[in-house]
Amino acid sequence: MIPFAYSFIFSFLLVVFILQSVLKKIFAVNIKGYMQALTILLISVLITAIPFQGLCLAQWIFSMNANFSIPLTAILLSRVIDNASGIRLLDRNAVLTSTVFGLIAGTFLYPMALGLGRFDPYEIGWSFSFLFMILMAVTLLLIIVKNRFGIVLTVCILGYNIRIMESHNLWDYIVDPVFMIISCIYITTSAIKHMYTRGPV
Amino acid sequence: MNKHSVIILIIVTLLLHAWPAWRHFSQFSREPYSTFRANPLSVVNEEKARPSMLKEFINPESVSDMVHVSSICELADGRLASVWYGGTREGSKDTAVFISIRDADSREPWSRPRVIIDRKSASEELKRYVKKVGNAVIFTDSEGRLWLVYVTIAIGGWSGSSLNVKMSNDGGDSWSTSERITLSPFFNVSELVKNNPVFFENGDFAIPIYHECFGRFPEMLWVRTGNNGSGISFRKTRMAGGRRLIQPSVVACDSYSGRAFYRNLASDRKVAFSTTDNAGSTWSEPENLRLRNPDSGINALLLSDGRILMAFNDSSNSRESLSLAISDDCGSSWENVSTIENEEGQEFSYPYMILGRNGTIHLVYTWKRRHIRHLAFNDAWIDIQKGVRK
Repeated sequence: MIPFAYSFIFSFLLVVFILQSVLKKIFAVNIKGYMQALTILLISVLITAIPFQGLCLAQWIFSMNANFSIPLTAILLSRVIDNASGIRLLDRNAVLTSTVFGLIAGTFLYPMALGLGRFDPYEIGWSFSFLFMILMAVTLLLIIVKNRFGIVLTVCILGYNIRIMESHNLWDYIVDPVFMIISCIYITTSAIKHMYTRGPV
Repeated sequence: MNKHSVIILIIVTLLLHAWPAWRHFSQFSREPYSTFRANPLSVVNEEKARPSMLKEFINPESVSDMVHVSSICELADGRLASVWYGGTREGSKDTAVFISIRDADSREPWSRPRVIIDRKSASEELKRYVKKVGNAVIFTDSEGRLWLVYVTIAIGGWSGSSLNVKMSNDGGDSWSTSERITLSPFFNVSELVKNNPVFFENGDFAIPIYHECFGRFPEMLWVRTGNNGSGISFRKTRMAGGRRLIQPSVVACDSYSGRAFYRNLASDRKVAFSTTDNAGSTWSEPENLRLRNPDSGINALLLSDGRILMAFNDSSNSRESLSLAISDDCGSSWENVSTIENEEGQEFSYPYMILGRNGTIHLVYTWKRRHIRHLAFNDAWIDIQKGVRK
């Protein structure tokens, strides 16, 4: 039940974020304020929960991927709260760190897990291994330098301990294919923007 | 973040990481990874002396147009249970997993097949969209509980497969709700099952599975049931890399050593094998046997006298004949024993064997995609076949 609840929350946040983006960017509606936020939340709950061909949207998303990583959910939550209230749970530095983390983790994991070579890095995520030690070191380092992505990584290990997802493998708590693709796009666009804002030397 | 919150977060992080470390080391010290439970049975001599062979259909009046991928097991009370999937055609939306049960010693026919799971019930139980169901394997664990591991697909073909598990404590009359097993970080797809589990001395078992997407390779799904079956945990290890070996069939030769035999997708068309000396933890580089393989499922079984029996399609390009071969040296060299089916233009495929408690070997396989055939024979019958060939 807990894994589906987590998946429902992810789907709900995704719907809220899409609604906010559409209203803000296409219809130029002011979405900040209690009434606007409440309306968007109610509509999002309905969209997420109303069944279509026997399954609600959350179940359709659950069908495609039951294990959206905690960093992706945290970024989504941060954007939703930012859109509604202007409060940034994850600042730009934390988002950039998370996307770099997602890109590195995904690049290491997916090619080998899908058959490149004989070593499967997914194996080290089933129970305590050096993956946990690396994650702990990265988390502590980020907390010490006061990067908020460190808190997200702490939530990852908490989620793993209480089995918030269907997966019992730590990798699924820290990275997923969608997060990796988003990380790749974010880093690429950030790099391009950075190049243009610097201007010609 | 101020200084105090940083200190609190550091302490929380350390504690949260200490928990899985403590759990891992305490469990491992209590129940270290075990050795193979090889199963040489002491068979009654007169049973061994009389050759016997029974041939029958499990589903003589087929309830579906196509049937495929059967497996068989002995229930805790000695009855036999067989499962397979059937539907209009392979991969159609109306496929369902069927079960049929028969008293092992009686001449009563198999029970009328009934559906254990189809796409509708799987979708309800798993709380997600299921396009179709596929390969299923049934077996009894060391506590007498019946397991069904089966494939569901949400998108695409077999490369979109995921594995699920159901259990029964009453010999298949009632089943637990399906549980999805997450085994791949990439949308949890491309994990399939075909062959028998291998059991360990401490009650754990491992199911040979395989990945079939960008890479095609064999894997072991390790299952630890814990005390009284509580706290079931899964983990997965890779047996070989590459894009050519799937559907592993694992046989334990003794407590530590064993052999895995593979369906070979490569153009050399030979059954491949690899070896373990540490009860399946690691496997040697795969090599080819002299036995032919037309990119088709195989199955190997350890007999009561330590020999290994293999059922396979003895051809490089068709599934028209199904044969048996035997090995006296844990799978290094093989001798063909018998051709049990051979008919041009037909398919006899996906064999699955078990050794019954009375020493009877049970073989089930797909018969022309219309029926599931069951053969029950003993060591003496194999020896006579060997003699006939010589």
